Amino acid sequence: MSNKYYEFFCPVKVIAGKAALEHIPYELSGMAATRPMIVTDKGVRAAGLLDPVIAACEESGLEIVSIYDDVPPDSSTAVVRDIAGVYRSEKCDSIIAVGGGSAIDTAKAVNILVSEGGDDIAAYAGAGVLKRPLKPFFVVPTTAGTGSEVTAVAVIADTEKHVKLPFTSSFLLPNAAIIDPRMTLTLPPHITAATAMDAMTHATEAFTCMAKNPLSDAYATAAIKKISNSLLAVMDNPKDADNRLELAEASTMAGIAFSNSMVGLVHALGHATGAICQLPHGLCMSLYLPYVLEYNIESIREPLGELLLYLDGPEVYAATPASRRAEASISAIRRMRDALYKHCKLPRTLKETGKVVEEQLERIAEVALDDGAIMFNPKEVTLEDAKAVLRRAWA
Amino acid sequence: MIAKRIQPMAFQARRLYVELMFQVMGRALQAVSEVDATVQKDASALPEGFLFEMMVMPQGSSLIVEHVGNGRFHYHGNSAPRPVDLSIQFKHIAHAFLVLSFQEKTSVAFANDRMLVDGDISYAIRMTRVLNRLESFILPKLVAKRAVKEYPANLHLPEKLMSAARIYLKVASNFVETVRA
Ligand SMILES: [Fe+2]
Repeated sequence: MSNKYYEFFCPVKVIAGKAALEHIPYELSGMAATRPMIVTDKGVRAAGLLDPVIAACEESGLEIVSIYDDVPPDSSTAVVRDIAGVYRSEKCDSIIAVGGGSAIDTAKAVNILVSEGGDDIAAYAGAGVLKRPLKPFFVVPTTAGTGSEVTAVAVIADTEKHVKLPFTSSFLLPNAAIIDPRMTLTLPPHITAATAMDAMTHATEAFTCMAKNPLSDAYATAAIKKISNSLLAVMDNPKDADNRLELAEASTMAGIAFSNSMVGLVHALGHATGAICQLPHGLCMSLYLPYVLEYNIESIREPLGELLLYLDGPEVYAATPASRRAEASISAIRRMRDALYKHCKLPRTLKETGKVVEEQLERIAEVALDDGAIMFNPKEVTLEDAKAVLRRAWA
Repeated sequence: MIAKRIQPMAFQARRLYVELMFQVMGRALQAVSEVDATVQKDASALPEGFLFEMMVMPQGSSLIVEHVGNGRFHYHGNSAPRPVDLSIQFKHIAHAFLVLSFQEKTSVAFANDRMLVDGDISYAIRMTRVLNRLESFILPKLVAKRAVKEYPANLHLPEKLMSAARIYLKVASNFVETVRA
């Protein structure tokens, strides 16, 4: 009997495409919610992204009761408590998160407090603490990368105790993710590139790491195909709504893939680098992806080779001998990075970031070795291995 | 209780095996932590007095070790002196058996959602590394290759140190044969 076993779960309704925002009032009414609160950040508001959301609701006679637009890039327990306070005093009955990873994570945590009660979000930290569904919750992503709209995780900093609190529960998942091309149309080029490469990494790691399974594979390959076909088109023409939508869909699909099959060493190194050198997550992903694939190659030759079909299309795939496909996949990713470097200077090496000094590599390796993502890397990683990958990624 | 009537002996044997393997691993963890620098290095980052538990849900067998400082573990048997800091919980005895009979690697078991981690993930990663190292000590090379992702190149322990554990293991593998049959 085979030892194969897997689990796959994604109960999030995906509402995607043209005029998707206009479905929000109907979806809210379907859950008997009439007093929604928007949780977002200043950048989203300044970019005018709230306007179409509010207009879509008001046109249907649905009043947005409260807007909290002060979520910081690294949200904290204090912010979560504040927002929960506003929610309660305004007698809201549902939450719409509009933004990237931080706004979405914050809204997830707020939903715990307003559903379960209390002011101490730390009491709900950990896995499986929640035992019942929370308030109606909708997510409108404004970046195409994190996939937070389909992950059952939130991370909130406890600024007093200086720790990051993880929350894991399937009840954190929103009832629906609304993917509207208007939301990512104005994303600046370097953020478009970095977040798309985050999604690319989610899909690639989901497809090559230990918990891969047939269902997450299907989402991962479809996401890679969309990113390969659309990313450079969007870089050339940022107002290309069709290809913007492709990227946004790919990000959600990659999110579904990795939330069911986990990520690996790219994320372990990226989390460590982000914490130590304050580099954006997507940038770290793009930077480390080919070096980690090269490190893992003998353990992932087959699945990595299969990805060539989605990275470079059927002609290239068919013309490349099976034994060379894994290397060809890495070359395809490198070519994409080179193109992004040309477009918006997205760094390809640690040196190119200008924000990392060589002395930090040792520390990055140590921290990466303690990261949860390393558990699912297909190849065992020692401290020496991690340092070797970092040295190759240096310049 | 239909299942019980069909295979009572196999279930009983599996339970005994898991209990025995927890004991073997608990003792071996303590022994290895007293001599192996790699294990000590990984363990020394754990707080002193840190209690680690591996258990089978809902309230089955368990293994508890304490980090007593300087990378040394102390085996507490199956009862903890106070609430544990990190608990790795198998969802079912069948899953514990797969891992403890080295049919499924620890990391694969995590990937397959066979077990839950209650506590700090980075400590869980450390303990998984320690357990991998331990498995490569007490198992013959061939079996260890199956149990851990990669067989370490730098094992330099006196053979006799682990021979006691290996004797236990022999007894244990007889259980495997019994249960598999
Ligand atoms: Fe990511």
